[in-house]
Amino acid sequence: MKSVVTTVVTAADAAGRFPSQNDLEAVQGNIQRAAARLEAAEKLAAGLDAVTREAGDACFSKYSYLKQAGEAGDSQVKVDKCYRDLGHYLRLINYCLVVGGTGPLDEWGIAGAREVYRSLSLPTGPYVEALTYTRDRACAPRDMSPQALNEFKSYLDYLINALS
Amino acid sequence: MLDAFSRSVVSADAKTAPVGGSDLAGLRSYVRDGNKRLDAVNAITSNASCIVSDAVTGMICENTGLIQAGGNCYPNRRMAACLRDGEIVLRYISYALLAGDASVLDDRCLNGLKETYIALGVPTQSAGRAVAIMKASATALIGETNSPASGGKRFRKMETTQGDCAALVAEAGSYFDRVIGAIS
Repeated sequence: MKSVVTTVVTAADAAGRFPSQNDLEAVQGNIQRAAARLEAAEKLAAGLDAVTREAGDACFSKYSYLKQAGEAGDSQVKVDKCYRDLGHYLRLINYCLVVGGTGPLDEWGIAGAREVYRSLSLPTGPYVEALTYTRDRACAPRDMSPQALNEFKSYLDYLINALS
Repeated sequence: MLDAFSRSVVSADAKTAPVGGSDLAGLRSYVRDGNKRLDAVNAITSNASCIVSDAVTGMICENTGLIQAGGNCYPNRRMAACLRDGEIVLRYISYALLAGDASVLDDRCLNGLKETYIALGVPTQSAGRAVAIMKASATALIGETNSPASGGKRFRKMETTQGDCAALVAEAGSYFDRVIGAIS
């Protein structure tokens, strides 16, 4: 799992040296930003179900044709799976906030997603719409502190870019 | 390879649950004591050569047969290999201490080490003793509990702020114990 510490250790190990002052400074920089990340992760974990529900509702209200026969959400089972996937993406963003890097999203969310969606004939546009709604809906200080919100939104943007 | 943060993510993923509440408490303590941890890593890396050579010397003093003809630290070529291995073990322990997780030590150092030593005829009991001496000096440097009496001519105290390092000393000690457990 890629994170600041594992990147530093991998580089030091490849060179066969002890962690240098540069390495310790890099980890120190990561630690300084950690408080905001962990706050965002905590708030997101606490409200994960509500955020998922709101994001899914927003996407189905914008693209109401998705529930027509023959479309991606023409049965309740398929609609539920859309909400489930959104929940998975938000959970992975929670993991990214904990780790302090995009490793969890890259490894468990984005890698291979394009191929899967294509083979299942699923549109990615609605996911983008749902995540954009979440990004624009979140605000400071109601949901979390400004710095925490900044971290949260940067991972949302990363995912939106990957899906669009 | 995992660190303290990705370890909690991997275990949360197995339950398909987000990381929240009590899981975050442990990570917050890692963040809160971050500077102490970096000082502890620095205490090991700055004194690495001293820690390793002291440990190997101590191991040989207790069992001088090692440097007589037929011993496993005779001739210089094998003594050099012994010093090199001591440094490698200490290096991976410093990585584990920096990451706050033993996975890098397990995956890249200890996995198969015992089998390698047995195949090469390295006495694992002596190797374990050297690691135990490294543990004693490294934890004394991290916790600043070393004294001129035990340090002798090589006595050195790290110039860090005084504070409670008991948790880090225990954590570092556990990595040394992990090495001893893996090769004995």
